[in-house]
Amino acid sequence: MDFAFTPEQLALKDEVARFARKELNEDLARRDREHRFSRENWDKCAAFGIHGLPFPRQYGGQEADILTTMLAMEGLGLGCRDSGLIFAINAQMWAVQTPIWCFGSEQQKSKYLPRLCSGESIGAHAMSEPGAGSDSSAIRTTAVRRGDRWILNGAKTFVTNAPMADVFVVFATTNPARGFMGVTGFIVEKNAPGFRVGNPLEKMGLRTSPMAELSLEECELPLDALLGAEGGGAAIFASSMEWERGCLLASCIGAMERQIKTCVEYARTRRQFNKSIGKFQSVANKIVDMKVRMETSRLALYKVAWLKSAGQEAVLDAAVAKLHLSECWVQSCLDAIQIHGGYGFMSEYEIERDLRDSVATRIYSGTSEIQRNIIAARLGL
Amino acid sequence: MDIRQEIHDYLVRELAAERDSFASDENLLAQGIIDSMGILNLVGFLETRFAIKTTEEDLIPENFETLEALRAFVERKRAG
Repeated sequence: MDFAFTPEQLALKDEVARFARKELNEDLARRDREHRFSRENWDKCAAFGIHGLPFPRQYGGQEADILTTMLAMEGLGLGCRDSGLIFAINAQMWAVQTPIWCFGSEQQKSKYLPRLCSGESIGAHAMSEPGAGSDSSAIRTTAVRRGDRWILNGAKTFVTNAPMADVFVVFATTNPARGFMGVTGFIVEKNAPGFRVGNPLEKMGLRTSPMAELSLEECELPLDALLGAEGGGAAIFASSMEWERGCLLASCIGAMERQIKTCVEYARTRRQFNKSIGKFQSVANKIVDMKVRMETSRLALYKVAWLKSAGQEAVLDAAVAKLHLSECWVQSCLDAIQIHGGYGFMSEYEIERDLRDSVATRIYSGTSEIQRNIIAARLGL
Repeated sequence: MDIRQEIHDYLVRELAAERDSFASDENLLAQGIIDSMGILNLVGFLETRFAIKTTEEDLIPENFETLEALRAFVERKRAG
């Protein structure tokens, strides 16, 4: 196995990290406190080319391969402390742009992708419902064809980017008798009749990435709002989850690297009992463990990328990587707080925010429990 | 190799332990025998056991709705 990245890939990661460090971290503690999304920083990232990384040039993208894209997202996590912004960007790239790119008609790609890549439009993905989280077969939102219209009825929750989004990928069942395979994707524009975005939801973490519920009451869509085939929602969802797991988690690897640098710096300069606290094994070992977690997470994640780029199936490996990385990230955030002591507990020092943000990684894109279910099944249990 | 029987036995063994058998035309999706978790495992089984490669485009109800649809899907994949 070749573990080497090209000089160009590594240069891109550095360039993204430098850009992010310089442009994206201002006034973050206040924005986090106020649950405030920065459209300005969103636009900066789009102008830099983040939003369009893996997408074809004809739709405003950069045509980067998956490994290059993941390294760039790692650079974003390394330089940008605003995990909410990163989450919002990832939510759009992998759960809106990718489904449109992979399953949309030529007209849909031409209409939506250039504006999503450029940052002009914001996209959101609506799958979860009050009664349907991990179990997509429990979706109750319906779509029925009536003349030259699709009529959608139902409610969605936990929709990242919803309060500021212009375009939504919404899943509804067109055939309840087919269970989760009766689920179909639709592209819904924010001004569609009968479509309403609820008030932003308050969250524990990722607060700079607004989230809301959606209501669809006799929501009317043109026939060409159908995304992919009728009953093709399962394929769309599976595809976007694979991309999301790989690239969103790559940003977390970058954040883990950033966090280790912060902790090393603090442990080297903070002195107690006439020596730096890093000289105490109980502190040093925490940072060592953080380093081991980051490296093992990175290996697991890039193995998935390697499998995918070789056209191989990666369901088991993706579940292993998702589970391991998210659990590691949470534990490392706890360790980082402990290393910083009382300062780590104070919001002002921006250590505790990583912990609040990290907890979401164990939930989004398939909970840790679901990943364990997948692994157990693949082990024949 | 009886493809239908092998898939049938897998479904009984792994996805519907409370059942002894399925009819060829029984709707597996409507009954939740194959759900969003189960299909990951089923696809893994089909790929390993029958040396086929599934794509995202294959994840449509027409290929998974019944035992007969599954058999036909595997046959098509193996043929080409």
